[in-house]
Amino acid sequence: MDTHEKFLEGGDTADAVVPGDSAKSELLVRIHLRPIDEGVMPDEGRALKPEEVALLDAWVEAGAKWPKGVTLTERKPEAPKRVALPQKAPGSNIEAAAMLDDILRRENAGTGVVTTQTLNNAAFLRRSTIDLIGRIPTMNEVREYEGWGENRQTKLIAKLTSQPRFADRWTVFMADMLRVRSNVTGGNQLLAYLHGSIEQKKPYDVLVRELISASGRANSNPAVGYILGDDAQPMELAAATSQIFLGVQIGCAMCHDHPFDDWAQKDFYDLAAFFGKTKKMESRRRGGSVYTTEGNEMTVLWPPEDKAEARDRKPVKPRFPFQLGHFEKTPHHIQRFEAVRLSQEQKNSTDDDTASLDALLDAVEPNVGRPIDPVLEEAKKESQKLNVHGDLYRSSELRDQLAQLITDPRNDYFARAFVNRVWAELIGHGFVEPLDNFSDYNGLHHPTTLDFLAQEFIASGYDFRTLIRIITLSDVYRRSALPADTPFELREKSELNFAAAPSRRMLGEVLYDSIVVAGHLGDFKWPKGANNKQVSREIQIATGEFTMVEAGDAEKVTTMAGQPAMRGDGYDLESSLKIDFSSILSSKEQTELVSMREKSDEQIKAEEMAAMQKDEQRKVMKYKTETVTETVDDNPRFDSAMRMATPAPPAHFLRVFGQPARTGLGEFRDEASSLRQQLMMLNGRMTHEASRVGTLEPLHHLLKKDQNLAIDWAYQEILTRLPTPEEKSDARAIVNDDSQGMADLRWALINSNEFRFLP
Amino acid sequence: MSCNDYQINRRRMLKTFSASLLGMPISQLLAQTAPSRAQAEHVILFWNSGGMSHLDTWDPKPGRKVQGEFNPIKTSVDGMEISEIFPQLAKQMHHGALIRSIAGTNGDHGRAQYELQTGFNQSPNIMHPGLGSLVVHEREPLGDLPALVSISGQPARAGYLGQQCEAYFVGRPGQKDPYLAFPEGISHARGMQRLQILEKMNARTSGEKGSKELKASQTALKDAVNLMESPALKAFELEDEDPKTVAKYGDTEFGRGALLARRLVEKGVRFVQVNRGGFDNHGNIFDAMRNHGAAMDPAIASLLSDLKANGMLSKTLVVVLSEFGRTPRINDGGGRDHWARCFSAMMAGGGIKGGSIVGASDEDGMAPAERPVKVSDLHATMCHALGINQDKELFTPQGRPMRVVPKGATPIHELFA
Repeated sequence: MDTHEKFLEGGDTADAVVPGDSAKSELLVRIHLRPIDEGVMPDEGRALKPEEVALLDAWVEAGAKWPKGVTLTERKPEAPKRVALPQKAPGSNIEAAAMLDDILRRENAGTGVVTTQTLNNAAFLRRSTIDLIGRIPTMNEVREYEGWGENRQTKLIAKLTSQPRFADRWTVFMADMLRVRSNVTGGNQLLAYLHGSIEQKKPYDVLVRELISASGRANSNPAVGYILGDDAQPMELAAATSQIFLGVQIGCAMCHDHPFDDWAQKDFYDLAAFFGKTKKMESRRRGGSVYTTEGNEMTVLWPPEDKAEARDRKPVKPRFPFQLGHFEKTPHHIQRFEAVRLSQEQKNSTDDDTASLDALLDAVEPNVGRPIDPVLEEAKKESQKLNVHGDLYRSSELRDQLAQLITDPRNDYFARAFVNRVWAELIGHGFVEPLDNFSDYNGLHHPTTLDFLAQEFIASGYDFRTLIRIITLSDVYRRSALPADTPFELREKSELNFAAAPSRRMLGEVLYDSIVVAGHLGDFKWPKGANNKQVSREIQIATGEFTMVEAGDAEKVTTMAGQPAMRGDGYDLESSLKIDFSSILSSKEQTELVSMREKSDEQIKAEEMAAMQKDEQRKVMKYKTETVTETVDDNPRFDSAMRMATPAPPAHFLRVFGQPARTGLGEFRDEASSLRQQLMMLNGRMTHEASRVGTLEPLHHLLKKDQNLAIDWAYQEILTRLPTPEEKSDARAIVNDDSQGMADLRWALINSNEFRFLP
Repeated sequence: MSCNDYQINRRRMLKTFSASLLGMPISQLLAQTAPSRAQAEHVILFWNSGGMSHLDTWDPKPGRKVQGEFNPIKTSVDGMEISEIFPQLAKQMHHGALIRSIAGTNGDHGRAQYELQTGFNQSPNIMHPGLGSLVVHEREPLGDLPALVSISGQPARAGYLGQQCEAYFVGRPGQKDPYLAFPEGISHARGMQRLQILEKMNARTSGEKGSKELKASQTALKDAVNLMESPALKAFELEDEDPKTVAKYGDTEFGRGALLARRLVEKGVRFVQVNRGGFDNHGNIFDAMRNHGAAMDPAIASLLSDLKANGMLSKTLVVVLSEFGRTPRINDGGGRDHWARCFSAMMAGGGIKGGSIVGASDEDGMAPAERPVKVSDLHATMCHALGINQDKELFTPQGRPMRVVPKGATPIHELFA
């Protein structure tokens, strides 16, 4: 529909446009339909904005004038304006943060946005603790922070980014980005590997190279979980790799030339070919493991299946469709990057002549006073073994090449895509939205700020913590929210331009852990026996009889075997089952691998047969269900939600609060409020237990002494601030020198929007 | 949960805007394109997990080697026979229709369950919504109760439709949901007092900040309290039900599930899924099916007759479905294995022509002999019954258009009067 003739022609039912009469113009009628209605136009891409619709209406009513010979083309949004980057390299993270603020100020000049005040000290403590270690600060942390004086904010960021919980919280971020699922092969290993990598301060480019190029099986080389997550399918992996690590949705070109972009279908096939020899294998052994290896055949063929006969389809030669930067003189951030890497290598080569990547890693941040990460150790051991048994889990030269190209510091996309995600996580929204759609057709704003951060990230040797420190030490991060009476448009504009803080809600995991901290649920808060109560529940009792169960009759086995009884009170949806990351990779797998190679095929076959026969019929104990009443000491303790199998089961607290299913590419957290969320907060066991004042809590004693002090304490512990005089007088009426009253106050504080939303 | 949208909805804005701008009755224009024969307002889906044998239920093969232990019995419909494990249901079959030629393609539980419940094959990059989530997304909620309720298990997920369209679920029928009332030890009066304190606190924050996210959170809170206080919640409690009625449905978890399903649709719930497991009978299938029959027969038969009696049947689509059938050959352990090539389903009410039989399997129930029905055709049929346009496209949060039913699916038109 790009020329006047085609425009008037329409479809087979009616004229597209009747000049002068918008109501008779089929096209206009369809444009007015809801986007979910049949036949709505446009049928692809975004719906038209009301003002665009109004413009079209007016134009048709006015006679739909179309100058002769004019052909429409897709219009790219104007390239965003850039301002000058600083001339010299920053000497510290604080200096870098100041440069960031300066660039942003210059980019915002003349836009008319309202720049808000920076947060007060207490609010900064709350916001950064929530963001960086995924929970509200404890009372001890509040006190410690107050005592630091002048440079407390800088000191706080340094402390938070070196705490063990930092790795827990940012594993959640990485797990979202990489779509980690505990229930797929290699999922838990990948989770443990990511956690270990963050803990060990592995540079981001090294991490990504490991993910893209890994081969083998998850227990010994956990990074392979990334490849296994997409079943080692070249097409899926090409789409995921470019969208996740480069922020480019080239996957849309899988089936056709990209409708809204300049990617051709062939570009996509060229990229997919890097994964074209990777195969997912299942060990022939019963219950055998899954691993990846490299085949000899290129499975990605061109032209596509639907466009050519099988015999005409030829193997595709891998080609990287993205341009790497060309420079006459190496830019200073790449010089700095090279210097960082060189010094790391030199340091390393004095210890060991055959420097490996892993050794390089250790040199980046020596493990002083830290236990050795078992995940990484296993991975190292395995990579050494790969050289010996190179033929079983063949490593992939193609994926090695691809990993190098993707993580090349001259590849602009790589650092910018990651910076955009981290920025959005901390500031509320990205330079580009959706976060994984960098395109000439998708608006990008504040390009210089983004470039500066990307360059500093590269220059640091892709150090995750440096990136986070620069952002959190800046004034942008410290912005407060606009007052309630700000006009909607001004608010929107100011927030989008990073001049005011948008409303941000805690992640589900963070909310969970914050309730645990606020209510002292991480440890027992009652003495033994203080909460004894009679509980009736159903249990399964062995009858002493046996019955035979066929292999594969899973239904029968599960209904008969003595499963752990449900909690019985219906609160399972708030439980947290902790995974022990360090024990996920069992050493048994290692010995099994070795012994497997020592057996002949006949031996393996014979063992398989024996195993099958053993499993054919199983003796299973019969159980009966009985209701018993017993006395239990209801003194609950809650673990952190950060180390649960992930995603949590459907309808679990975390899922209700937006944890994604991680099944789709480009799936982000659901940030909408829901009725179910409110029900779980209002009536949940966790909020209830968190509100009750345990006799072992400091608050209990304080309340006996002076309720004013107790009220101050409760506010500080839950909201990280003292009550206003008005709030305090309200609180006195609620508490009324009574621990039930205090429980009511705490319940309301934990349920309040102020608790759930970041300051 | 019903799909209430707590955020400002661009599409809704556009709709209002365009309707007023044009000054022409868009609603009329839309009405013309909507299917006219849709009758169903509610759905009760009995989901039988594990792969229910078609030969031992809806498609008996008397006199053949594959027959097994059960004889066919006559039903209230001339020429329609079903397995003897459903004696009461046999008397209700003038309400029901049988589809005996479903040609499935997935013999694996996970993949087949996904396809039967969503209409689509699994894909690594998108999660399709289950039928229940789709229905509550497409139809306005009625009454206070959540629009999608799942009993004794989880239905398919809401997929790209998001958390708002997930099922509200009841672990066991009659079991109290702890989240619908103040926690133990908190009286109603004290709970209401707490809510007042909370309201004052939230009003203060909103007064200072006033973002749309805070407002959405407030709306959700109001809805939650409304639900907690709603008299319709009584529908979940089976204690006050006449013991005779409970007995009529069979005093089993399944029977109570069917009874609860009826009570819920009477209160306006759009979609109820009643889950039952234990159909993966690789061994001793006849004992197992006898037990299944004993639980299912009185429950589904009573449900149909009660819905008919109170006038709800014509607008309630009742579906009995499983992920596949079982092998006609009886294995050495007296069981049957997975069989997707040919299996059956039962549908009743909601405009379905009672007493019909669609398609037929061959003499041993191995393959469809007449009118093969694709799995996606079943979904097209259910959408047709509910007046959901099967060609409609929904958008994922990433803006990717998705059909509600796969391309090429056709409703089974002969099922509708």
